[in-house]
Amino acid sequence: MSLAEPAALPVAASAAPRLRLLKRFLGRFKASLPAYLLLLPSLVFLALFTYGAMGRVFVDALYQRATPKAPIRFVGLDNISAVLADPAFTGAVINNLIYAVGTAIPSIGLALLFALALARTHAVNSVLRAALFLPVLIPMVAASALFLFIFLPNVGLLDYYIGRLLPVLPNWLGDPDIALSAIMVITIWKNAGYYMLFFLAGLQAVPEDVMEAAHLDGAGPFMRFRHIILPELKPTFLFVIVIATLNAVTQVDHVFVMTKGGPSNSTNLVLFYIYQQAVEHYDIGKASAATLLTLAALMGLTALSFRTMANREGGP
Amino acid sequence: MLFSRRLMLGLAMAGSLAGALTFPAMAEGPTEIDLFFPVPVDGKLARDMGTLIKEFNEGHPNIKATAVYTGSYDDTLIKTRAAIKAGKPPSAVIMSANFLLDMQIENELTNLDPLIAADGTTKEQFLGQFFPALQGNAVINRSVYGVPFHNSTPLLYINADKAKEAGLDPSKPPQTWAELTDWAKKLTKREGDKVTQWGIAIPCAYDYCGWMMETLTMSNGGRYYNEEFGGEVYYDTPSMLGALSWWNDLVYKHKVHAPGATPGPAVSTSFISGNAAMMMLSTGSLTYVRDNAKFAYKVAFIPRNVRNAVPIGGASLIVPAGLEADKQKAAWTLIKWMTSPEKSGWWSRATGYFAPNMAAYKTPDMVDFLNKNPDAKTAVEQLDVAKPWFATYKTVPVRKNLEDEVMLVLNGKKQPKEALAAAQKAADETLKPYNAETSLKLP
Repeated sequence: MSLAEPAALPVAASAAPRLRLLKRFLGRFKASLPAYLLLLPSLVFLALFTYGAMGRVFVDALYQRATPKAPIRFVGLDNISAVLADPAFTGAVINNLIYAVGTAIPSIGLALLFALALARTHAVNSVLRAALFLPVLIPMVAASALFLFIFLPNVGLLDYYIGRLLPVLPNWLGDPDIALSAIMVITIWKNAGYYMLFFLAGLQAVPEDVMEAAHLDGAGPFMRFRHIILPELKPTFLFVIVIATLNAVTQVDHVFVMTKGGPSNSTNLVLFYIYQQAVEHYDIGKASAATLLTLAALMGLTALSFRTMANREGGP
Repeated sequence: MLFSRRLMLGLAMAGSLAGALTFPAMAEGPTEIDLFFPVPVDGKLARDMGTLIKEFNEGHPNIKATAVYTGSYDDTLIKTRAAIKAGKPPSAVIMSANFLLDMQIENELTNLDPLIAADGTTKEQFLGQFFPALQGNAVINRSVYGVPFHNSTPLLYINADKAKEAGLDPSKPPQTWAELTDWAKKLTKREGDKVTQWGIAIPCAYDYCGWMMETLTMSNGGRYYNEEFGGEVYYDTPSMLGALSWWNDLVYKHKVHAPGATPGPAVSTSFISGNAAMMMLSTGSLTYVRDNAKFAYKVAFIPRNVRNAVPIGGASLIVPAGLEADKQKAAWTLIKWMTSPEKSGWWSRATGYFAPNMAAYKTPDMVDFLNKNPDAKTAVEQLDVAKPWFATYKTVPVRKNLEDEVMLVLNGKKQPKEALAAAQKAADETLKPYNAETSLKLP
């Protein structure tokens, strides 16, 4: 195909390359058929349980049933505006933001600290690594049940030790000012060991010769950390931040076990709010609308993170 | 070709084989029914239920019942609803007694009147077996929708050793709020500003908090909701204001009750460990206290301000809507068997709940048991003054509307009056769609 005469191309002539394209596509498809077949089972489940469910949520969000006797009717965006006007939802969003920032920063910070301290392979380090990773293996529900007793007012482990020092014992999970922080402590405790793994892997990717060269050039530990390790860990950081953000929205087991969103909605998170709407209020329309809003926010956030990541990697 | 003819043929054959395997079994074997059961207290119940159902199956060769454990009361409601929605309802469910109205409004229950009539009994005869206080949560619009199975009332638990230590006589427990306040003051120990022993503990976590508010409101002469109609609650009334104000006073004026919202297990642990000298808790915790208290304890009626009255708690057996006739009939056989004097008495002794069937208390086994464990009598005696349990349209959210505000009061963030006004407003909002369809819909 020459650039000189594009307008003059007759219809029949353009069909030939198209056919060739199709053939090439089919050829390629044939070659990658096994791959597609291997993916098929996951694809079926993904379609059924993820995309199918998403489609269903999209439809359900447009309908409302006021009472059992009233018929289900189309309400358009009414559910969305009802969710946005619900102080419990806005409260849950604010709680979730506090929760996300308040758990991501300390757990990532701790994870990095652990990883730096335990980067060298050493018998003691392996034991310490395992110890720090242990909370990850405990199911969230079990961990929450455990902390339920640690936080027990007056007789719990925490009050047993700290209670001697404080003039007034806080009701850790029963006070709306403290309950969210108490729940955040569990998340940090549980996630720090998990993120540590990523940082350990990231640290292993830091080229040994560069470090050695820097060492020979007289760069101290801080200089090496600031100018070599930190830039090398950037992709790990971004990845962990995305995971931590998603975790902040998807983990609600502890809320379920420990507080049920209380006292007075102070530990209500977005996912738990959705559960409440769907199951307690039996309001599928509003639950779907809240799900859609959350989904949109998460997708936007993830896209943004990946874009930032891609830009950083492609940059200078 | 991947989807070869042979593969398709194979799939088709497998399908027809599966069909051939299942259909005859449905036609010939015993009627298979599922019973959903919750375990709201401790784990031993699941084993006891297995024993009970095994005995039933042995005595009824035409029916094969399977007991399916479904978690807490709230979880059981969720799972039952999910099963109904999926078109595969369980044949019978042990359902928290106060969810029946909500389910009836949602058209999720089978009206039991025809089944009772088919047995040749009248509704009055059938209901007459059970303590009158339990009937309110089982009968809706004069039709029977549930059969009481195991029930509870709130009780006042007293650490008798500590009471004696403080110069109080545990054989004469406090009967009024004034006496209770006095006891609580004498039973609170301080070291400077620090409290080392609380006079009284009352649980406030979702579910329990609403039940305790109902308890206090009732003993303050009030009612909590419209027992005849699911669209009205009375949060903003003098009787409830008085109840919440007293609770608030216990915390912030007399300082004999720890501040904050405390869940049930924390309250019982506090009592068992001697950290709280008295507690208000369900009779369902009696077995736990009996097994774990290392001190003499005493169980008493909930003290009154205006009158002696308590709400009932516990669960009823229901038959979900949408079942085939044979399953319905089999479920009815199971329900009648489970609520018979012998079986409900056995279950009561095994679990600590009281038996709703009055005749159960005349069986020799039960007379024997009560002689050995006189503390199990209190809840039954208190039944004379018991009233139905809070039930409205959307029971759980409407209850939460109140609980959120009560928690703010117990944390010192709101005064009782403004909290109750806010709770009333929120509940009215939750009940609005139902009222628009019923009480506000004019002919």
